[in-house]
Amino acid sequence: MSEAPRTVDPKLLEILVCPLSKGPLTYDPQAQELISPQAGLAYPIRDGIPIMLIDAARQLDGEGA
Amino acid sequence: MKIFDRATVRRHRDRAAPGLDHYGFLFAEVAERLAERVDDVLRDFPLVLDLGSHGGDLARLLPGRKGISTVISCDLSEAMVAQAPGAAVVCDEEFLPIAPNSVDLVVSNLSLHWVNDLPGALLQARAALKPDGFFLAALFGGETLKELRDSLAAAEIELEGGLSPRVSPFVDVRDAGALLSRAGFSMPVVDTETITVTYEHPLKLMNDLRGMGESNAVHERRKGLSRRETLLTAVENYLDTHADDEGRVPATFQIVWLAGWAPHDSQPQPKAPGSATVSLADVLGTHPPSCSS
Repeated sequence: MSEAPRTVDPKLLEILVCPLSKGPLTYDPQAQELISPQAGLAYPIRDGIPIMLIDAARQLDGEGA
Repeated sequence: MKIFDRATVRRHRDRAAPGLDHYGFLFAEVAERLAERVDDVLRDFPLVLDLGSHGGDLARLLPGRKGISTVISCDLSEAMVAQAPGAAVVCDEEFLPIAPNSVDLVVSNLSLHWVNDLPGALLQARAALKPDGFFLAALFGGETLKELRDSLAAAEIELEGGLSPRVSPFVDVRDAGALLSRAGFSMPVVDTETITVTYEHPLKLMNDLRGMGESNAVHERRKGLSRRETLLTAVENYLDTHADDEGRVPATFQIVWLAGWAPHDSQPQPKAPGSATVSLADVLGTHPPSCSS
């Protein structure tokens, strides 16, 4: 509804964890993803809304940084 | 055990999102009642999590009340949370992506009835709360849509010789308190209220349920279309049994309220049995007759 693209609420970012591993997430502002190194998954952020569904996540290949 | 097909729940909610202004009246009504209940609690709740937020009714109602500054709307449907103002996240209540001890209040307005593992969802909600945080949820209770359920059942028995699960199983009030305790809430409270909505016609009710995103998502439901004859007979049954003088029909929605607190040392604790040092009779000044002189 607003013209400016939504950004993820910082208070939300603080308390989000991986729904699968319940481990911490790292925020990648370039890719607009939340990365769960423990689960090897990257959750997309669309229009400021993190999509924290396991079946919507991207599988990370190889060794994550 | 999988009772509900969560992908179907998600699809129904996605499909219902654009028409919510028109069909969401029951969610809006119960959201108002939920906000009033939050008003009655003598505590401030800066950070709130709304589980199964639909279009964000509570994110519109709650901020400004009881020291609430942020309401995070979460829902299985992206199309639903996209309508919510403020912070929003798409998530599954069965896999809650929220760190332990992080929010002051968890609310849920008519959503947890679609969860397969209600004890697990309650446990995760409790874990997300800070100590002494509050949980308040409205669920559909077992009396919900009893007129529709009876009418459909009678029609199916008559025409198809058996029943198929068409209306969701709902939580039973008697189980709800035990569920809260099992999830680790202290001071659990359960109560119910009934909202009766009057419809011009049973078909209007069925149409509304679809519009709310509440159509059948039971895993074992019969796929494909229902037999037209069965539906028509059900409508006839509904009218025969429940219609008033003007042909209007009631639909019962039973709301079960669940409330509980995340445990904290400041809360009242029951004393260990036998730990009393003063007789209750002394305090009340009523001595048993045999002891009185």
